[in-house]
Amino acid sequence: MTRLISVAALLLAPLMAQAAPTQYPLTLDNCGWPLTFDGPPDNVVSIGQSTTEILYALEAQDRMAGTALWFNEVLPAYAEVNEGVERIADNMPGFEAVVNKRPGFVPTMFDWMIGAQGVVGTREQFADLGIPAYVMPTDCAQKNNTVGADGTRLADFDIATLYQSIDEIAAIMDLSDRGDALIADLRAREAAAVDRAQALDLPDASAVVWFSSAHLEVDPYVAGGRGIPAWMLRALGLRNVVTSDEEWPTVGWETIARADPSVIVIARMDRRRFPADDHEAKLEFLARDPVTSQMTAVREGRIIILDAEAMHAGIRMIDGLEALTDAMADLPR
Amino acid sequence: MSVATASPPLTRQGLRAARQAAWVAAVLAAALLAGICIGETPISVTTVLQVLANRLWGADHALDAIEAGIIWSYRLPRTLVAGACGAGLAICGLVLQSLLRNALADPWLLGISAGASTGAVLVTVAGVGGGMVAMSGGALMGALTAFALVAGLARLSGGGPGARGAGQIVLAGIAGSQLFNALTSFVIAKSASAEQARGLMFWLLGNLSGVRWPDVHLAVPAALIALVVVAAHARSLDAFAFGAESAASLGVPVRRVQVVLIGAAAMAAAVMVSITGAIGFVGLVVPHAARLLVGVRHGRLVPASALIGAVFLIGADILSRVLIPGQVLPIGVVTALVGAPIFAVILIRHRGAS
Repeated sequence: MTRLISVAALLLAPLMAQAAPTQYPLTLDNCGWPLTFDGPPDNVVSIGQSTTEILYALEAQDRMAGTALWFNEVLPAYAEVNEGVERIADNMPGFEAVVNKRPGFVPTMFDWMIGAQGVVGTREQFADLGIPAYVMPTDCAQKNNTVGADGTRLADFDIATLYQSIDEIAAIMDLSDRGDALIADLRAREAAAVDRAQALDLPDASAVVWFSSAHLEVDPYVAGGRGIPAWMLRALGLRNVVTSDEEWPTVGWETIARADPSVIVIARMDRRRFPADDHEAKLEFLARDPVTSQMTAVREGRIIILDAEAMHAGIRMIDGLEALTDAMADLPR
Repeated sequence: MSVATASPPLTRQGLRAARQAAWVAAVLAAALLAGICIGETPISVTTVLQVLANRLWGADHALDAIEAGIIWSYRLPRTLVAGACGAGLAICGLVLQSLLRNALADPWLLGISAGASTGAVLVTVAGVGGGMVAMSGGALMGALTAFALVAGLARLSGGGPGARGAGQIVLAGIAGSQLFNALTSFVIAKSASAEQARGLMFWLLGNLSGVRWPDVHLAVPAALIALVVVAAHARSLDAFAFGAESAASLGVPVRRVQVVLIGAAAMAAAVMVSITGAIGFVGLVVPHAARLLVGVRHGRLVPASALIGAVFLIGADILSRVLIPGQVLPIGVVTALVGAPIFAVILIRHRGAS
């Protein structure tokens, strides 16, 4: 259904601003949890940078009361907008700090923030206070969040869940016009990037995506076989050498080196908790370690640096897809 | 179980010692070889032997650089450290159980594990040291600080020769462990995101995946020093079997022996925990298993504990790599998961012995 609406939006892109205003009360099913909105919500508290940036892209900042859970600098385009919205916490906010804003809507990008075991609060806790808490389907549809550190995907991540998230957030906020325009734009860019990558026609190209490591030498956190980076790789015709269904499994360097992927993607981030958060430290490790330095990708300089935020489900995913395509085109043949 | 058996004639004893030494060396070599041959990915035994020949005797086999690197730079140091760590923790547990005459004593009793965790958390989460101190450095400092605190508290509260003194160090250890565990939780709750806490949990359960050659240069000497120091005091440890007062009456310098042995044991355990994280079960159970297998005399008990500890941890590490294909389990999980049933079997089979 959502897909149909979105396809229609794409076809009608030139005739924008035709979407009907939201009819309230609006009810929707959020990964099995029923939500009801009696009117366009105010005092929105958004938990998670991706969610926050989607709301900024919908120009909903005037109805936002707070943000939390930041990983990197806000997108430069929204720097000024972000100044006007209170940042409740850099990391996870406390339940009371959120509730205290009397929010009409609390969307989040991660189930482990507001879910069965939510660290901010469970869905029941928010429901008890009459606050609709919403988890983006990118992190709860087809995913078991009680298995594995970041949950385990029951099916491959589908970009449609991102468009569904934007569509639903826009509908809740009564901003469907802007939502449709945003989705149409992202879809067009996604298709263009995929076309460009397929035109490169890389033969049996494989990849590993290294996010970080608890410390430099231990088994690294890498992108699982069904998560968001895996979707990007698949869309662009790269085979992920990691097959675990966990979102970010730890896999030994021995296994990675033996798989000898043709490309290594490493994450760049502002976070500096572990030494391996720094992408320069990752590069230095790959070149120095007696085993990884022998990998084809390291010897031939096939290392792509990708923004960590592009690996979260949000509008930056498409930026990441484009960046990955650009980098693939520049790789030594 | 008979404690004092008559000594056999000297020549026969010498022969038996030589045979035992050869046996120990063979078991250890077999364990090491297994640790190098079995890993996350299959590498043939031939390749393993060729890599060892290249490195040790300058042979010139043409080999895949990645496979050679995995064997020489990942698996060999990892196996050596697993062995050293198992031996060190087992000796530490043995010393504490014998000196304190407490069957439940283990390395973590002295607050070493709790202190190491606090040190690691302070470095990685709270950023103490400004990135100049490695997590293992922080863990070592934390372990030694906690042990110093526990030892000081035990002394101030009247710990010393005698049954009461042994009780005091146990109580001081409990207080110290609780304090440092609380500090760890406090630091995590105060400044870590859930994501960091997870990375730390992985380490707190014990992890050998990041072990490289520099760790070998630290762990193996630490284990050897502890082994030599404790083995040299085997007779004194025998005397402690009947309590510190009896040991004193037998002419054992009780205070000095306690300080030297507990100090050596604590140092070894602190070094191990700083490299691999807190690996439970080994220090507690291996000395008991050794006692059931070779008897209570420390002349045999000390080397037996070290050997069993080394082989057990190497075996546990192998299992941690192969139990779930494509994923490495925390070794602390495997030691208890595999060790507990093995220990149960030993207990049952020796029920008549004591």
